[in-house]
Amino acid sequence: MNKRQTRLFAIASTGLAALAFLGLTVDSHRQFPSLTNESQLTPQVIAGKNVWHKFNCVNCHTLFGEGAYYAPDLTKIAKLRGEQYLTAYMKNPAQFYDEKRHRRLMPKQNLSDEEIKNLISFLAWVSNVDNGGWPPRPILVTGAAIPGTDLAATQQAPPGARPVSGDENPMALGEHLFRSVTPACNACHSVAPDVNMAGPSLAGVGEKAAKAIASPDYKGKAKDANQYIHESILEPSAHLVAGAMYSANGVSFMPNTYGQSLTPEQVDQLAAYLLSLK
Amino acid sequence: MRYKSQSVAYWYFAVAMVLFGLQIVFGLLSAAKYLGPDPLLYILPFDVTKVIHTNLLIVWVLTGFMGATYWMVPDESRTELHSVKLAYIQLGLWVLMGLTAVIGYLFRYGTGNKLLEQPLPHKLVIVVVMLMFIYNIGMTIKNSGRFTTTEGVLMLGVGGAAVLFLPALLEYKNYVVSIFYRWWTIHLWVEGVWEMIQGGFLAYLLIRLSGADREVMEKWLYVIVGLVFVAGILGTAHHYYWVGVPSYWLPIGGIFSAMEPLALIGMAVYAYSAIRRTGLAHPNILALHWTVGSAVFTLFGAGLLGLAHTWPGVNKWTHGTLITAMHGHAAFYGAYAMIVMAMITYALPAMSVGRKEEGTTIGYWAFWLQIVGMFGMTISFATAGIGQVYLERILGLGYLDTQLKIQVHFLMLIATASVFAVGVALFIIDFFRYAPRFELAVEPEPSTRRMSVTAARD
Repeated sequence: MNKRQTRLFAIASTGLAALAFLGLTVDSHRQFPSLTNESQLTPQVIAGKNVWHKFNCVNCHTLFGEGAYYAPDLTKIAKLRGEQYLTAYMKNPAQFYDEKRHRRLMPKQNLSDEEIKNLISFLAWVSNVDNGGWPPRPILVTGAAIPGTDLAATQQAPPGARPVSGDENPMALGEHLFRSVTPACNACHSVAPDVNMAGPSLAGVGEKAAKAIASPDYKGKAKDANQYIHESILEPSAHLVAGAMYSANGVSFMPNTYGQSLTPEQVDQLAAYLLSLK
Repeated sequence: MRYKSQSVAYWYFAVAMVLFGLQIVFGLLSAAKYLGPDPLLYILPFDVTKVIHTNLLIVWVLTGFMGATYWMVPDESRTELHSVKLAYIQLGLWVLMGLTAVIGYLFRYGTGNKLLEQPLPHKLVIVVVMLMFIYNIGMTIKNSGRFTTTEGVLMLGVGGAAVLFLPALLEYKNYVVSIFYRWWTIHLWVEGVWEMIQGGFLAYLLIRLSGADREVMEKWLYVIVGLVFVAGILGTAHHYYWVGVPSYWLPIGGIFSAMEPLALIGMAVYAYSAIRRTGLAHPNILALHWTVGSAVFTLFGAGLLGLAHTWPGVNKWTHGTLITAMHGHAAFYGAYAMIVMAMITYALPAMSVGRKEEGTTIGYWAFWLQIVGMFGMTISFATAGIGQVYLERILGLGYLDTQLKIQVHFLMLIATASVFAVGVALFIIDFFRYAPRFELAVEPEPSTRRMSVTAARD
């Protein structure tokens, strides 16, 4: 090849690549409205996007896996945590995590109530974008989809658990109890969607409870999701989730000792935490 | 130094050195925060140190590019710069922009858009500076009447960088669309037009350091440019994984970014064969280290480590983990930091009093400590990233629990980053310890250099 030919190669290949790229860009624009649910881009969602930018969130967290790697990915966080939890968390992250234990902590951002609301609606919009089914498995903030993997050999409490001082948010205390009561809830239950271990996944347990109560098969006494969770903890056999691996002869496999080992306040905290799961 | 106006380059290089030093300070701070707990949580949180770390990188590398261009163009076109005054005004404006941006970040004044955090007024100044730069260089070449291929590739790179910055000035309501166009700037800079700039400098250095024939070098430069763009333009697709764009970007990203190493292999072979075939024609062996080092480290960091996680089936698991940090550090360092240091090392003996042409002992220590340090940092990020992928993404352990389990890799990161920082400090010390001198030295033209005046338009 002489220099003229190589120059032609450079120009032609660049031109072709650019042309193909522009064509695909046009087609992508055709598909953005349906992939990203553009009709749901409400002023509140856009205001939430501005909050995301204003507080520089992307330089610790990732969204769609893009950003910095210092804090958890938030693409699907609105599908894992309810609005109540996220609101309480945004008001004071130190109520949920402990810097000494986790070695890092999100600084309090002093967002207004409206900013928090907007941010959560933005994150909810993000969680509904069709992004090719990523992540392939839920990315959890703490805890584990497989029991035991979050337990350090030398620690009684898992590394993800914080020392409890008592003035934390009830949901945070509930999350701690979820791992620390005996027997630990997370030994059998995952909070990741569709991860059914010895017990069913507790992701979205509030919604599932409401459905169970509404169904004619429900035999328990609960009138709402909160009561249902209390009942399940204290009297596991009051209502049985279908599945041969969960119960036999009308008796649940879940221990029925929590009524004695937990105080009513602790059960309230556990329920508050479980209700925050989506 | 053959032309008086080349002395402009010294001040650009000096600014670049100061900013490089600062970049490393903020990098070390950010790394320390991975170990935690962070005593500066409410004074200088991670998001701030990280923004400053990455922005200083962009600013110092671009400062280096501009300085190196002001050094190279008079040499290539055999003339003085069109306007020295304009070059200094440009530098002043640029430094003002950079410093106010960094100070602003300390107070959270920024757009919060990754790598494009500069507020709009700053972005506009960037555009103005680029236009001043292109005008000055363009007029210099026009006045001289001598336009080489090497210059042409460099100019296309610089011009392309300016054009591709334009989408960054716009606001998008849809976050997905804003991601889409953010990569037009970021990706097409670093894996497109900046590689042309790197290729231009590489060709210039190899023509001068080795006895390689200009015709042959420039012929292959075209091939490299073609390969960079075929793979680079469509390779943008590897940033479109899992962000809410049509699914056809997945195979396109896989195929074309797998081709990206070709151009980088081309560059490394190019550098190696130039030296091997024709031997050395210049005493500056240290500059040769940086030149060949840049080509080889780019192949490792950008090519090999990029390829390691670019296939969609792999990236599904590694996306958004420290694996990306592994690739990012090695790639940026090899391709851009090293090529700027190569140009500085090549140009500096002609601009200082008493500096040996073949390089100083401190200069060699700087080179090797940086190489060893950056290699160690890359391995630290890689091992941390692999741990993170298995524990967090595959086994489903929580993010915070995983980060606790990979602490040992952060210790390793800080240790190797410290070695790297010493290398950087030595490079900066070596830069400033000789006083600048801007007298014209009459150097004999290297004997092997071809006088191909019509090189660009054979």
